[in-house]
Amino acid sequence: MKMVWTMLVIIQASRARLFKEYKEVQREKAADPDIQLVCDDSNIFKWTALIKGPSETPFEGGVFQLAFAVPEQYPLQPPQTGEICLDILKNAWSPAWTLQSVCRAIIALMAHPEPDSPLNCDSGNLLRSGDIRGYQSMARMYTRLAAMPKKG
Amino acid sequence: MGFDSISNSSSPLPPFSKDLAKKKRTNRSARLKQSKLDVRREQWLSQVKNKGCEVDSSGRGGSPPSCMQIPHMQNRLVETSEMRSREEENDNSSIHDSDLESLLNSPVGSSLDSNASRKDHPRSSSSTSSDCCSRSLSEEEEDDGCLDDWEAVADALGINDNQQNPISEPPVKPEARIGSADTELPKRSSGVDLLKTESGGVVPISQMNSRAWRPDDALRPQSLPNLSKQCTFPMNSERHCHRAIPWAWKSTISQPSSCPICCEDLDLTDSSFLPCTCGFRLCLFCHKRILEADGRCPGCRKQYDPIHGDVGFNTGATPFKIGRSCSMISRS
Repeated sequence: MKMVWTMLVIIQASRARLFKEYKEVQREKAADPDIQLVCDDSNIFKWTALIKGPSETPFEGGVFQLAFAVPEQYPLQPPQTGEICLDILKNAWSPAWTLQSVCRAIIALMAHPEPDSPLNCDSGNLLRSGDIRGYQSMARMYTRLAAMPKKG
Repeated sequence: MGFDSISNSSSPLPPFSKDLAKKKRTNRSARLKQSKLDVRREQWLSQVKNKGCEVDSSGRGGSPPSCMQIPHMQNRLVETSEMRSREEENDNSSIHDSDLESLLNSPVGSSLDSNASRKDHPRSSSSTSSDCCSRSLSEEEEDDGCLDDWEAVADALGINDNQQNPISEPPVKPEARIGSADTELPKRSSGVDLLKTESGGVVPISQMNSRAWRPDDALRPQSLPNLSKQCTFPMNSERHCHRAIPWAWKSTISQPSSCPICCEDLDLTDSSFLPCTCGFRLCLFCHKRILEADGRCPGCRKQYDPIHGDVGFNTGATPFKIGRSCSMISRS
């Protein structure tokens, strides 16, 4: 019984925290034009982020859509984004981070990719071997494929 | 010169010796009066400096405020001094010669000499180089003739006799200051002595105001570093662990009113709880949850101390430590 009660309290805490972040996003919409966080209407634990590719990177011009699955124990547990390999989303997570700060970290990762933990093996190989141009052209290709509005 | 004028003005052809004796007596009495005057002035200056030092944030020894206060005195005294100086002009001239001889040794004489010279030989006022000199100008005006009036004024001001400087010092002062003082030599020498006396006068003041500026003091100089950054360093608040102090610090530090983890309001116990040296504040409930899971501080990612979980409570002068885990943890 006490366990259930504790869980309820914890979920309530995560709801309150998510609601606070939601209000903050509404309030500071212009603060970070590269990030747009949208909350699901029916589920506060489901968020979508629209992230613009940072300038001077092969991702420039693309808008990337990310789905965040927020756990019940948030913020003690990090939000999950699928396959993104980012330290703060795993072992380096801190309850002080917010969804907004996670998005900023992802943008930073796009600007400074880590070849040692690649999602795309080809990208990782290209970067590790030093073929920056190859990596960039490949990234640009994927950006056009996945992050830009299709023509026609 | 002066000698001749005396001989002319006073009784016709007095004996030389008598005249000389009279001159000497006058000289001695004038010197005594001058010394007394200088002592009084020194006291008054110290008092003015006290008031000036408290106001003057740049720590320049309060000379500007004293300069401000002096002019109104100066105006009043100048009038009386001019009146008296006319009367005493003869006396001043009479001792002109003897004073010239002792000019270098006794600055007193030079002041009287300056009086005479000013009346008889108007000179361009020498540069009142420093603010001290400007102040001295006023003193000189007071000096000039209204010795008795000055004393009355000094008494009226209620000078504190405890600040009386040795007689030897004051005579060194005024002369040089006296902005219009003719001779450069005594001015220079007494300029140095002036600083000495000023510094001597300032020392007690600085001792009075030896405490550091409070962070909320409106007069605190802007050049001093901003203490708000230091205030957020938790070690400070831990050192001053009194019940009242956290409230005082709250006014200067921006403490969260709600827990950043669960968004619940921080109550008294939570506000005085400081689990980590980085200063990250959170409620006890979240702290307990973190200890059960990760155990690291959300702010700096350092491991929490699970045994002494309540080491940061401000419950007195020394942190309250218990051997076992805190009540919150044990209750679960």
